[in-house]
Amino acid sequence: MNASGSHSAGWKSVVLRYETLLFVVLVAEWFFFYHYGTTTNRRGTVVGFGTLDRQFDILRHSCEIGLLALALTPVILTAGIDLSVGSLLGLCAILFGKLWHDGGLSIPAAAALTLVAGALGGGLNATLITRLRLPPLIVTLGTYSLFRGLAEAITHGAVTYTDFPAGFLFFGQERWLGLPTQAWLFALVAAAIWLLVHRTTWGRAFRTIGFSPEGARYAGLPVERRVAQVYVLAGLIAALAALIYTARLGQAKADAGTGYELFAITAVVLGGTSIFGGRGSVTGTLLGVAAIAVLKNGLACLPVVIRLNAAEEMSGLLTGALLLLALTGSVLPKLWSSFRSRHRRT
Amino acid sequence: MKNPLPRILLVLGLLAGLTSVSAADGKLMITMMPKAKGNAYFITCKVGADKAAKELGVELLFDGPTDSNAAKQNEIVENWITLGVDVITVAAENKEGLSTALRKAQKQGIKVITYDADALPDARSFFVNQATPQGIAWGLLDEAARLCGSEGEFAIITATLTAGNQREWLKLIDERLAAKYPKMKLVAVRPSDDLKDKAQSEATALMSANPNLKVIVAICTPGTPGAAEAVKQAGKVGQVKVIGLGLPNENKRYVHEGVTESVMLWNTSDLGYLTVYAAVALARDELKPGAKTFQAGSLGSFEIRGDNILLGQPFIFNKGNIDQFDF
Repeated sequence: MNASGSHSAGWKSVVLRYETLLFVVLVAEWFFFYHYGTTTNRRGTVVGFGTLDRQFDILRHSCEIGLLALALTPVILTAGIDLSVGSLLGLCAILFGKLWHDGGLSIPAAAALTLVAGALGGGLNATLITRLRLPPLIVTLGTYSLFRGLAEAITHGAVTYTDFPAGFLFFGQERWLGLPTQAWLFALVAAAIWLLVHRTTWGRAFRTIGFSPEGARYAGLPVERRVAQVYVLAGLIAALAALIYTARLGQAKADAGTGYELFAITAVVLGGTSIFGGRGSVTGTLLGVAAIAVLKNGLACLPVVIRLNAAEEMSGLLTGALLLLALTGSVLPKLWSSFRSRHRRT
Repeated sequence: MKNPLPRILLVLGLLAGLTSVSAADGKLMITMMPKAKGNAYFITCKVGADKAAKELGVELLFDGPTDSNAAKQNEIVENWITLGVDVITVAAENKEGLSTALRKAQKQGIKVITYDADALPDARSFFVNQATPQGIAWGLLDEAARLCGSEGEFAIITATLTAGNQREWLKLIDERLAAKYPKMKLVAVRPSDDLKDKAQSEATALMSANPNLKVIVAICTPGTPGAAEAVKQAGKVGQVKVIGLGLPNENKRYVHEGVTESVMLWNTSDLGYLTVYAAVALARDELKPGAKTFQAGSLGSFEIRGDNILLGQPFIFNKGNIDQFDF
């Protein structure tokens, strides 16, 4: 189920696999917060991390960043990067609000057009990267400012679209079959991306391109077309994230999704996907998203952090520490095996 | 060949069984959210709020976004809901956006009070109103008119173009401008995101785009020192005058240097103090809808108009009196 797994020796390879270690870290993290972050309040009700409401909040708060991380996984597998997804989220939220509020379109029509706009935004990235052979980092740095600037220009920085109908807010604020509605949408997209990356020749092509674009071209892969597709897909998913974001907050404002691209990239890299492309998995990305979301929400429940009013600062600090630790940790087995092989030789 | 995962999970499960439940110490838990945590205006609010919390023997949590960000405000309110606090008090960055989360809090039995910037009326019990919008808007415009002799160009720096209170003040300024000062021209309204350095760069841009500019009016507290610094650096002291809402300490220097003519504000520390007193009274069922007055500790009695608890009239600080205040 993942690209880097060697199938040689039984349990050792399962345990030493990066995803397994990350899963253990996630579970430990969860129990830590469950242990220290759950209390009983003055009225005798259990409050804090150990409540079902809190778990649902974690799901709801991580859906949009989670979607962006899923969008970025194929991109990063091809050794690309997309810094514009957060800005595109903001632009799509504004477009959706404008089409519905000022354009008089129905919610489904406005949503469909927003998804098209997202794909077009991704298409712009794709065109610049594949046709003009510009580096993805620079292209998406440009569209990062461009999309956000457009969102601010459309609203003059002043308009906030609100008063969306209850039927639309259902997708961001209510539950369906026991879970927050957007969690189902997220699961659907996650399953689709997993199938695409791990069960189709397309997914194999993404990794091959990431390893060596020249090699992929010699092997007859349509490199440009595949690369273009991952950016269009990223734009489409960013638009979906914009709809969920708007439904969750009940408002569309030009600052929607500011900084989300960096959280998403962090989640992907924490999930074990190599920033140089070629190696990584969707499962890892999901675990990375979960590890960051649990950390962020869990910290806000710890009495000591609450007293210091430092949840936001602490979560930034610890997310950074976790990422650096994971990167260091992922290098250790390699160092260990090279040490052992040298040792055996002498 | 055995997979060790089940064993690891078992150990962790046993650990979880030891869930610590801290003893409920019976203190009311009051929360206070500023629009932005680092804004000096809200830091002085906290000073008064802390004092009130100490006097009343309640616990006060003060937390908010590091920048004026409506989405983060929602997440913090949702966090407080699952923490099961008793009262949530907020200065809303975005009326409609935050009201959804506040209504959810009310549904769970948490009392809600707004201060400084209101949410929608059905999403809170009371609004602690620092000054009537008319008092602020007209006060600033009249002061601007006095400085430019009721004619010429002036510009406004606001916090964000979406904030409810700022929009209301702007509307009132527009109305009075048309009715009373037909020779004055409002050339631009620029947002500063409640940040001093952004206000400074906006003021610099305003001055180069409008060479005949006479007065800059800042209707958010970081805007006033920001605009003053811009005027000073541009060497236009005396030519462009700055007035606005502002804390005395942040503006003393500019007032004495003659860059800023006067700053207007209410006592922000009292605003925090009154908000916490109202929150506690609400939680203890001592403050009920329909009340006409409210007693807040050492500050005495306050008028309640409808569901607005009024702090009183704004105050003008100038060269003559600014040194008497320290906040």
